[in-house]
Amino acid sequence: MASMMSAASRDTAISAIEEYFDNGSFKDVLARRVAIKTESPEPDKRPELYLYLEEELTPYLGDMGFECVVHENPRADAGPFLVATRTEDPSLPTVMTYGHGDVVRGYDDQWQEGLNPWIMTEENGRWYGRGTADNKAQHTINLAAIKTVLDQRGHLGFNVVALIETGEECGSPGLKEFCAQNKDLFKADVFIASDGPRLRPEQPTIFMGSRGVFNFTMTLELRDGGHHSGNWGGLLANPGIIMAHALATITDARGKLLIEEWRPQPMTNSVRLAISKLKIDGGENSPDIDEDWGEPGLTPEEKVFGSNTFEVRSFVTGNPRNPVNAIPPKAIAHGHIRYVAGTDPMTFLPTLRKHLDAQGFDQIELEAERDYMNATRLDPDHPWAQFAIQSIENTTKEEVAVLPNLGGTLPNDVFAEVLELPTIWVPHSYAGCSQHAPNEHVLPEICRQGLQMMTGLWWDLGSGDTPKAS
Amino acid sequence: MTSRADAIANALAWFDDDTGYFETLKQRVAVQTESQEPSQLPELYRYLEEFIRPDFESMGYDVTVYDNPFEGQGPVLLATRIEDPALPTILGYGHGDGVRGQADTWTKGEGPWVLSRDGDKVYGRATADNKAQHTTHMAAIKSVLETRGKLGFNSKFMIETGEENGSKGLKELVAANKDAFMADAYFASDGPRVNIAKPNLTLGNRGCVNFDLEIVARDGGHHSGNWGGLLANPGIILAHAIATIVDANGKIQVDGWSPGPMSNSVREALNGGSRDGGADAPTIDENWGEPGLTSAEKVYAWNSFEVLSFVTGNPSNPVNAIPPRARANCQLRFVVGTDFENIRSNLRKHLDANGFDTVNIVDPPPGNDAVFLAARTPPEHPWAEWMRASVARTTGEIPVMIPNSGGSICNDVFQDVLGIPFVWMPLSYTGCSQHAPNEHILWSLTREGMELVTGVYWDLGEEGTAWRP
Repeated sequence: MASMMSAASRDTAISAIEEYFDNGSFKDVLARRVAIKTESPEPDKRPELYLYLEEELTPYLGDMGFECVVHENPRADAGPFLVATRTEDPSLPTVMTYGHGDVVRGYDDQWQEGLNPWIMTEENGRWYGRGTADNKAQHTINLAAIKTVLDQRGHLGFNVVALIETGEECGSPGLKEFCAQNKDLFKADVFIASDGPRLRPEQPTIFMGSRGVFNFTMTLELRDGGHHSGNWGGLLANPGIIMAHALATITDARGKLLIEEWRPQPMTNSVRLAISKLKIDGGENSPDIDEDWGEPGLTPEEKVFGSNTFEVRSFVTGNPRNPVNAIPPKAIAHGHIRYVAGTDPMTFLPTLRKHLDAQGFDQIELEAERDYMNATRLDPDHPWAQFAIQSIENTTKEEVAVLPNLGGTLPNDVFAEVLELPTIWVPHSYAGCSQHAPNEHVLPEICRQGLQMMTGLWWDLGSGDTPKAS
Repeated sequence: MTSRADAIANALAWFDDDTGYFETLKQRVAVQTESQEPSQLPELYRYLEEFIRPDFESMGYDVTVYDNPFEGQGPVLLATRIEDPALPTILGYGHGDGVRGQADTWTKGEGPWVLSRDGDKVYGRATADNKAQHTTHMAAIKSVLETRGKLGFNSKFMIETGEENGSKGLKELVAANKDAFMADAYFASDGPRVNIAKPNLTLGNRGCVNFDLEIVARDGGHHSGNWGGLLANPGIILAHAIATIVDANGKIQVDGWSPGPMSNSVREALNGGSRDGGADAPTIDENWGEPGLTSAEKVYAWNSFEVLSFVTGNPSNPVNAIPPRARANCQLRFVVGTDFENIRSNLRKHLDANGFDTVNIVDPPPGNDAVFLAARTPPEHPWAEWMRASVARTTGEIPVMIPNSGGSICNDVFQDVLGIPFVWMPLSYTGCSQHAPNEHILWSLTREGMELVTGVYWDLGEEGTAWRP
């Protein structure tokens, strides 16, 4: 036995995971997971969320010696959590990892011909399916890499606690409370997980935080019903026109934020330096960047990784499918702000209220839509960041892109602030993956490289030379 | 010796008889003349052939039913009674079609197709719009004819069956048969009074043109975290574009979209015309629209721009993505004097000048694409003045004249094709739920209309009052 174990090495582990990918095993497992319709925004899909944790992940992790417990969400309307623990020795380092088993709605009828969100399909060198990129391939990669290290080495050489939630696409309801109430379950030295896109498809990437997101609704309801625009046009205020005006005061016509309190703190030199090394490239089929959009004077990378942005996510008045000649009674806009660390989300609605009142839009009602997620960052020089960068570069022989934070938003504030862990994210997708939209997909070559990188990273974690607890 | 009073009394006697007005209107409402439903085309023919033709023929009119020149559109009936070519000819109008019944949403009466009285309200689809109104005209003509033995003028009366579908083909049909439809003046009833308590005359209509503003930025939505700040948001840009078309209080800001200065006669005509839409009417926003105008001037003598609908993103399930496109269905209502031909091109210039060259101006959806031209008979026109005097003979009070209705109708047929002066006397009220469930007429108001219209037809043929163009 001992001699067999000693024959295993970092290289043989990586060869084993390559074989796992190349013989189709990885693809089969991912397809099986994609087929489970874990649409968390659909309340009637609750049973699928349980199915994913209890029937899919629990047996898989149980076979690897994890102790698996499915916990109810402290919020009655939100999906369950799986906590899977494998403790080899309390004196070894402990890593917390994370994934989410839920996906956004399938929007089945909007996918391109021949594609079905629930049947993973290879086309043009891509694997299409809802939840492939966000997040099923990502945690499937990380767990498969753990399994490979375990198979090859016979043990991991570190302890693991894995948390898989099923409400991320609804804003992770209950996640913060659950972690706060169960801090002892999640005592760890470092947090390493995967979600979101690489900076560029071909460049291994890590990020140590994310922009926050604050969603809100603006509603203007002037009267009960529509009124004939001939008889009343000129006499009744049109809420669609007023809402358009109100939105036009939040940013200028090229997206520059006009509410002073919403603008970010100036970037620190270290952040600016880190961002200056980055070059956004969404890969083929990614949209053309509008150079004259957003905050003037910033590079595209500074706009996404170092600044705050406002979007109109939707806006409706009247009956767009079947317009009639009536002054609509009501207009609703859904907006949101993405913001970097240093911006206090508690100030967003009060400052917008003050701003709208000052402009004469006091009739527009404001409401926060769901729990905000705080923006987080970790210094790129942090020892665990350096450890991960070194490990990935050893595996890939490529320079790792290091993002102070992701442009998108993850519930990283729970791990960084509530659990107080250094957080390292190693994304396995790319920006053009159509996550949250029809035709979501992953690129198999990134999955393969992700498997290699994660196997190397887990191997190194169990090799004894890790950063010491600070 | 017969008199004006006898003619009105005879008309009211028929109106008050249960087998008279109510029964006649009941039969007409029972015909499901929904012009927006292609399958109801036979009912449109049946309405004209079985209900309108016999009535006019019994009054000595020659009746022709013209097929619509547009495929699938409803027919037009023209009834003609020429007593003496030397006498003036008056053209009347009505429409036999109504909007869809919407039977499952009615909460009053006995549904759209069974005329049903509840107190002063008489419910039924197309009662107010327009079957009661032309039934009143036909009964008034009949009363004058029977009381006097003749009309004393020449009468033409047309009933179309496509008004609720944009009067498609009407203009072409009249133009092709211009001599048959030609008259010296036009008098008809449709729509609501401005003020429920007092009759008014309406001299025209606002025009109406719909168009869509659209930005197609790219094919699909993109994650706002990964792309926010890099991709222009079409919802934001279109909101900005709209904010340059009108200010936040609805004042139009596009060069070339103004009707020009209001004439003194229009301003004077509106002086004293206050709006009262009845109990269920919405509250007027005093600060909305063109500053410095009265409410009546804003809606009867000025232009208004509406965003009828706007959509970007997925409003029923908003996602955290930058939407790929935004679209607004917009409308300009405009009065005579507006540069109608260049509404779109002036908007194009305005958008380009403000940096919105990515905003496209495109055709509206086919279901809401009717175009109406603005039309107006000048308030000082002798035909308008004659009509005022006739109404005053019945009520003892000079009626208010509205330069044009806020809404839109096919007046351009009379103004531009026939070139004759036209005056409307609306007989309904704004709370009548026309185009909605529970459409109704007020019995008392309809009875008053019977008197007023009979008075007009009497005066037209009476020696001392007759109108001579």
